[in-house]
Amino acid sequence: MSSPQTSQQVGPMDTVGHDVPRIDAYERVTGRATYTGDVRLPGMLYARVLRSPHPHARIRSIDTSRAEALPGVRAVVTHETHELIYSSGSIAGGRQYSDAAKDITRNVRYMFDNPVRFVGQPVAAVAAVNRHVAEEALQLIEIDYEELPFVIDPEEALEPGAPPIWPEGNLALDFRNEPRPSGGTSGDPEAGFAAADQVFEDRYTTAFVQDAQMEPRSALAQWEGDKVTIYTPTQGISNCRHDNARDLGLEDHQVQIICKYMGGGFGDKNGSYYFDLIAASLAKEADAPVLLELTRKDDWLGTHGRWHTVQDLKVGVAQDGTVTAIGLRAYSGMGPYLRRSGGISGIDAYACLNVERVIYPVHTNRMVSGNFRAPSDPQGYFAIQSMMDDIAYKVGMDPVDFALKNMRRPTEEVEFTNYFLEECIAQGRELFDWESRWRPEPGSDPGPIKRGAGMAFMMFRSGVGPSSAILRVNADERYTLFVGVTDIGPGAKTTMAMIAAEELGVPLSQVEVVWGDTDRCPYSVGESGSRTTTQTGYAVVQAALDLKGQIAEKGMPRGDDVLIASATPTPSTQGKRRMCFGAHFVEVEADVQLGHVRITKYVAVHESGRILNPLPARDQIRGAAIQGIGQALHEDLLYDPRNGHPLTAGYYGARHVTHMDVPEIEVTFIQTDDGFGPYGAKTVGEAGIILGPAAVANAIFNTIGVRMKDLPITRERILEALA
Amino acid sequence: MEGKPEDDGGDLTRRGFLGGTGAALVVAGVPTLGGVGVEEEGVSTQLLEAVPQTAIRVTVNGTEHRVEVEDRWTLNEFLRDHIGLTGSKIGCNRGECGACTVLLDGEPVYSCSTLAVWADGREIVTVEGLERGGDVSPLQQAFMDHNAAQCGFCTPGQLMTATALLDRIPQPTTGEVREAMVGNLCRCSNYNAIVEAVLAAAATSGSGGAQ
Amino acid sequence: MKAFTNQNARTLDEAVALAQQALRDGRSVSFVGGGTDLLQLMKDKVVNRPGSGDPDVLVNLKTVEGLDEVTSSGQVVTIGGLTTLEALVEHPVIRDRLTVLAEAAESVATPQIRHTGTLAGNVVQRPWCWYYRNGFPCYKAGGNRCFSIAGENQLHAIFGGGPSYIVHPSDLAPALVALDATFRVVGPEGERTLSGPDFFVLPSQDAEHENVLADDEVLASVALPAPGDGVRSAYHKIMDREAWTHALVSAAVVLDMDGDVCREARIVLGGVAPVPWRVPGAEALLAGQRVTPELAREVGAAAVAGARPLSKNAYKIPLTRGVVERTVLALATSA
Repeated sequence: MSSPQTSQQVGPMDTVGHDVPRIDAYERVTGRATYTGDVRLPGMLYARVLRSPHPHARIRSIDTSRAEALPGVRAVVTHETHELIYSSGSIAGGRQYSDAAKDITRNVRYMFDNPVRFVGQPVAAVAAVNRHVAEEALQLIEIDYEELPFVIDPEEALEPGAPPIWPEGNLALDFRNEPRPSGGTSGDPEAGFAAADQVFEDRYTTAFVQDAQMEPRSALAQWEGDKVTIYTPTQGISNCRHDNARDLGLEDHQVQIICKYMGGGFGDKNGSYYFDLIAASLAKEADAPVLLELTRKDDWLGTHGRWHTVQDLKVGVAQDGTVTAIGLRAYSGMGPYLRRSGGISGIDAYACLNVERVIYPVHTNRMVSGNFRAPSDPQGYFAIQSMMDDIAYKVGMDPVDFALKNMRRPTEEVEFTNYFLEECIAQGRELFDWESRWRPEPGSDPGPIKRGAGMAFMMFRSGVGPSSAILRVNADERYTLFVGVTDIGPGAKTTMAMIAAEELGVPLSQVEVVWGDTDRCPYSVGESGSRTTTQTGYAVVQAALDLKGQIAEKGMPRGDDVLIASATPTPSTQGKRRMCFGAHFVEVEADVQLGHVRITKYVAVHESGRILNPLPARDQIRGAAIQGIGQALHEDLLYDPRNGHPLTAGYYGARHVTHMDVPEIEVTFIQTDDGFGPYGAKTVGEAGIILGPAAVANAIFNTIGVRMKDLPITRERILEALA
Repeated sequence: MEGKPEDDGGDLTRRGFLGGTGAALVVAGVPTLGGVGVEEEGVSTQLLEAVPQTAIRVTVNGTEHRVEVEDRWTLNEFLRDHIGLTGSKIGCNRGECGACTVLLDGEPVYSCSTLAVWADGREIVTVEGLERGGDVSPLQQAFMDHNAAQCGFCTPGQLMTATALLDRIPQPTTGEVREAMVGNLCRCSNYNAIVEAVLAAAATSGSGGAQ
Repeated sequence: MKAFTNQNARTLDEAVALAQQALRDGRSVSFVGGGTDLLQLMKDKVVNRPGSGDPDVLVNLKTVEGLDEVTSSGQVVTIGGLTTLEALVEHPVIRDRLTVLAEAAESVATPQIRHTGTLAGNVVQRPWCWYYRNGFPCYKAGGNRCFSIAGENQLHAIFGGGPSYIVHPSDLAPALVALDATFRVVGPEGERTLSGPDFFVLPSQDAEHENVLADDEVLASVALPAPGDGVRSAYHKIMDREAWTHALVSAAVVLDMDGDVCREARIVLGGVAPVPWRVPGAEALLAGQRVTPELAREVGAAAVAGARPLSKNAYKIPLTRGVVERTVLALATSA
């Protein structure tokens, strides 16, 4: 599999490529699937977290005596009792999973911080015999706060005189601990703008979007001697173990992480969370297992979501519609801790090389931002592809032709392992019937009910890299696959078993998977970056090859003997860019009198290499596209800037889409094999969410004739724009 | 805008995060629970009330339970924490997600938003009660076949609502399925597959098979 | 939740007596029907009854015999306060003759909530203003300010506001007022029957409450005059998703038609004022007139005469205009 082949359209293999229901579907439909909050241990206590009611305040004193005296309370912890650094909480430059990066981080986040820097930040926790007593005890903790000036808006946060959230100021520190924007210049933007016949400038903004997985986070900690077992919903048991061990002052082997079923993970869970540390601290204090449950509001405000952005774009265009230069100056709202990069993607999907990007990741006293499915993409693609769509109309071009003219293609300098963007756009255009649905004159339907269409296109990294797998076979020809994955929803466990079955040439029913437990599984990169299939899947192929070799050499094991193979490959694309591609075409119907928008057709065409299990892959794209629609039309976290309080936390507040809000998403995969990954498989999970906001916004423009530049595009904003 | 008295909205005197759980402003009061009170320094010397409890009789998945429940227990708490049925999930605990949906006398309700004590004398079916004689219901089978569960956390609730729907309307239209299931969110946003599964179950059996 | 006592009442008199006893004992009390909203307020420790803490006693009305009955006798339809929203949707008399009420009930939340929630509970639910629900010490929580005036007032009132600018959250309330319902209230002094304008109160009359109910009073039932043969009605609710939120704007419209001529109209708005907001000026335009698209447009415009938007909710004016125009025209031409 390692030697690159000519890219080609591919079909099903023996197991891979067929629709396979999940191997654990039965557990999922019968209530037998055990999530973290379902685990019950003898003598288990329940814990609750007290959180800051202030956006920025110093704790002068904290008195827990009344809480401790409440019958049924077994432990109370605060910043005074437990000064633990939460090392995943703030990371220099927003870099992930690196001891070095964590070591140099200057703006450290503690499990309980003082001062507190956002409404919802943990300040204390209680373990008690039941959750009602724990809740009651929280109310008996008395805290004297000194309220500090705060800032909610990222642009205001960078103005002179803004309340400093950190001594260094409010521009987040980069990986050298220097307050500098990210971005940089390529080509010659100045010359590019000079060469343009027209230069367009505009501002686009995107709102904060909570990951909002259905399972409120929880952690269950149990100590045995100097070893702690933590059940926790994590996307990466290996990273979670290492983070927690480091923060608790333990060796990795002293921490066991168990994550079996998990109620969704849409990013930023590939590591530890502060509530793991709180549960472990309480369990130690109380000398009993402790289940810490976050309420929905705790989870909404106390975790993270997609960073909100303000993006000022400048684009130069030549007479013939060729983009000659692109400028981006942007602010990403990160909250008071730099958990992730705050980057903004999308410009790289264009061929224009004269680009200047200045992106300020800014600290504010809002809740913390982090990774959500394609962390920097939907917000970036919304802005740049709205801008380009707008320019297409202004220079008199069909937006699809403008895309085909200006999108990135392989060059001699930048090679791709394969390239299918043009095919995605061409197929989408045809399947959607663009010519009949798109209005050459935007907003030209007579109304009040109007229709129109829009599109967007993308490419997204689909790298290869290290991971591990272990395979064992016994005399009954039962194969056991050990992989450190946690099945967060896409069906990784099933995919891994399918890859093993395919490579071993055995039926899927002969393969059992052991997963989600650091004491039983090898290292895994974790379920983030859409790389379980490409990386861990590739390790499964290598382990299977090894095991097949052993069987060929030694024969099948007999009696109690087993054969075991393990693999930790580190594949490389030898300098080529490996990307997946996609194009989304959307038709909307808008009632311009009532400001209502309904999506009437949604076509998503994706090239993600070979699709190993089409059934769940289809639903990765459908679900992601619908999440993108939610970001386009609904989701936000409104703050009152006068007092720094969030007002719309929760599914009701954020107006999450329901069964009645969503269209049918029509998914087509162009299947290929570039010779990398397991059987040519590329990224699927994140790719589907990138284009929703841009494609929906462009369709709305085509329908109503007014460009909506701020997400979410609510009824209120449409009515205001049309007023 | 009318000339209203300006209010800058700052300088709050709030009860705290989540209404009451912040303690900055909590005034001393008698803790209202925790069994018999004890005299300790800094704590009210008043005797604490016992937590009110009531004996109820409920049928859960065909099994009758005669139990003492605390009056404050939600139905979901009773099911998950006290009789070990953890299939029904808590996604929000406030009637805005649907993961806790169970059938109460055959109708879907949010088990987080009703009390166990109010279920006295009534019949409850949870996701654990959908199998018959070791076989999954046609609806459960359709959920398996059509990939209707991604992360699976909303799935028990979706199944219960769909079960009630198919009992009432054995052959629903797509629109009827969406309307009936509007109270069950799925953040994986697997809505298309869930609706397809319900329609497929209706086509194969015409019944969700719970009752 | 804090510990509380549930007390099942078998009769309304017993329910009132239980509440009085609790109050005499110095315990806070709340009546509870479906409880879907009350439990949420209690979990969040949001002040339900200003001046008293979370209830120590819940008086359960679900056990009161006959409180969930719908009876139709001659000229009056009486609906018990404990009738579930789902029962309203399904009831043939309500569906056919009091359509606006069935449609309003069907527009509420989700099937799960409609199977649990009740008519009385929907009418007397506390506001869904995000300041109130997030625990701000506003008028509705017994405080002395409204945070929306100069704040985030996107969802707030364009009519009848001051000093609080909440909008009334009930879908049933506009429908009931449009149907000229009377509200039967039972309390320690016996019972009293109130018209809609007397039952609901503006913040200028009482900033803390949305209606006249005292802590020991129950909304026992509503009575609706049986509509004549030419009467048709509809409820049109605008939300910012397709279901499961409160109305941005809603219109309950009842037209008494004689062929294509409107004898009399009642139009009551939801989502725009602290009480169900009747628009007599718009109604008057319809009386004795043939309903044409032009007239419907004028009616829509008349419905928003006098609206006073706050800084961020002016969009509700064209929205209200459009909803009224559409609903009136569709209803008048629907036969």
